[in-house]
Amino acid sequence: MIIFYTLLSREIKRFMKVIVQTVVSPFVTSFLYLLVFGVSLGSQVNDPHGLPYLAFLIPGLVMMSLMNNAFQNTSSSIVTSKFSGDLEDIRVAPITNHQIIWAMIIGALVRGSVVGLVTYVVGTSFYYYMQGNFLGVSHPLILFYFVIAGGFIFGLIGICIAFWAKTFDQLSAFSAFILLPLTYLGGVFISIKSLHPFWQMISEWNPLLYLINGLRYGVLGVSDVDITRSVIVSVVGFVSFYFLAFWSLKKGSFQRW
Amino acid sequence: MNFVDNKIPLKIQNLVKSYGPIEAVKGVSFEVKAGEIFGLLGPNGAGKTSIISILTTLEEPTSGQALIFGTDVTKQPMITKRNIGVVHQEVINSGFFDVEEILEFQSGYYGLSKNTERIHYLLNKLGLFEHRRKKVKQLSGGMKRRLMIGKALVHNPKFLLLDEPTAGVDITLRETLWKFVLELQKEGLSILLTTHYLEEAEQLCQRVGIINYGRLECVEPTQYVIDKFTQKKIILQLRKPRVLTSRYLQSSEHNNFTFRVPMEKGLGDLLQELEISSQEINDVKIVEGTLEEAFIAVLANK
Repeated sequence: MIIFYTLLSREIKRFMKVIVQTVVSPFVTSFLYLLVFGVSLGSQVNDPHGLPYLAFLIPGLVMMSLMNNAFQNTSSSIVTSKFSGDLEDIRVAPITNHQIIWAMIIGALVRGSVVGLVTYVVGTSFYYYMQGNFLGVSHPLILFYFVIAGGFIFGLIGICIAFWAKTFDQLSAFSAFILLPLTYLGGVFISIKSLHPFWQMISEWNPLLYLINGLRYGVLGVSDVDITRSVIVSVVGFVSFYFLAFWSLKKGSFQRW
Repeated sequence: MNFVDNKIPLKIQNLVKSYGPIEAVKGVSFEVKAGEIFGLLGPNGAGKTSIISILTTLEEPTSGQALIFGTDVTKQPMITKRNIGVVHQEVINSGFFDVEEILEFQSGYYGLSKNTERIHYLLNKLGLFEHRRKKVKQLSGGMKRRLMIGKALVHNPKFLLLDEPTAGVDITLRETLWKFVLELQKEGLSILLTTHYLEEAEQLCQRVGIINYGRLECVEPTQYVIDKFTQKKIILQLRKPRVLTSRYLQSSEHNNFTFRVPMEKGLGDLLQELEISSQEINDVKIVEGTLEEAFIAVLANK
């Protein structure tokens, strides 16, 4: 337990040491998204669920921030450790792969949740300014479930990618060419119900759609997709990426770049 | 908590490590005895780091086995890892944390939560106590090396792996580190040292193994290797020029004669053989063989 606690505390202390980069910077990004899309353009967008656009946008942005930061936390932790060489210390010490994975994904969840919470607080402040009341939470347990699922799954993806990346370029290529498009096309900014049926069908193949809408259901009580499907996708995602992360640790290299 | 079931710190048997078609370690066998400093010597690419990587579980062997205190490093790594401390070849720069935090994390990796006493003991011993709030990048080269040794010792291991611990370190600091390594030996640690500095191995190691192209060419006591593979140089300066003939004569100039004799041959034996009396000698200089010469001779012979 001490080993696990040490790894976890290292993960949390690491991102707290660079809080401007890990928390303040995502806060500024969320603030700008809410200001530009939610407040300025939002009045021109009709939401198919009949809600104010800002209400639709806030949970999407919360999940986007959470997923991005969970991914960034594990991937940058591993990549910087590979670069500095202290990943070798972890392999040389009597630490199991399960301890490493759980410490890292809980660290990812903590950072993702902090940034997600900051985004929610900023978003609901805008909402109060625009609508005169705060944005409540319809299903707290479902919200809680999808926060954990999103943090864990993207923490696991970060571990997998960081172990197999050979350069910083490969890591940022994954973020730029896979993660970012899937996030943007996963229903953060628009409801897929407002899309052409062909693009709706394409969007339904995007697993991020289910996580984003799962969290949206937790906050608003409405979703573009069936909530049961969202839960199933999240469970399958967690189990698959857990095994993939475990395999990456078993077969991947801990040696320094 | 350490699990020491066997008194032999390290026993390697027919160890093979291949990277695709390249065999980096070719059936190496040797052991490190309790309380000794054993030097694993070899040129770059000889297979030293591959062996260290197998012992630290960074790599898996292709075949053969390595036992640390009787436990197989591949089959029961969690036990063997508790018994070894590792000083890596390159300095690890944990950029986010200060010296004391690094040692606290390192202790935690070995399941030690309240290890402050040991950490402060090591910081004092290594001259780092007043620098404990500094980040790695703020330390001098020597301090960084000492921190690496401190990290390897936080959990009180019984067997220490020093992978080129003085690479790129100036001679003054190197000597300080040698002194510290000898102190660790006195405290009962067994040590496996890999190094490019043959002088270092000569000063510290009771036995050495010379590895080349993945094959262990010899494993012997250090002095034995020097005696076996080197010759003693005797330079005689006579009072008056004279003609000398000897199979040991290497060069002569006026009344200066240089001889290369086997290490076991004494000055008296040579003088007797040459029929030179002590009155004829103005000066004598004897240069013993070094481990470096022996190392070159071993590599050249193979």
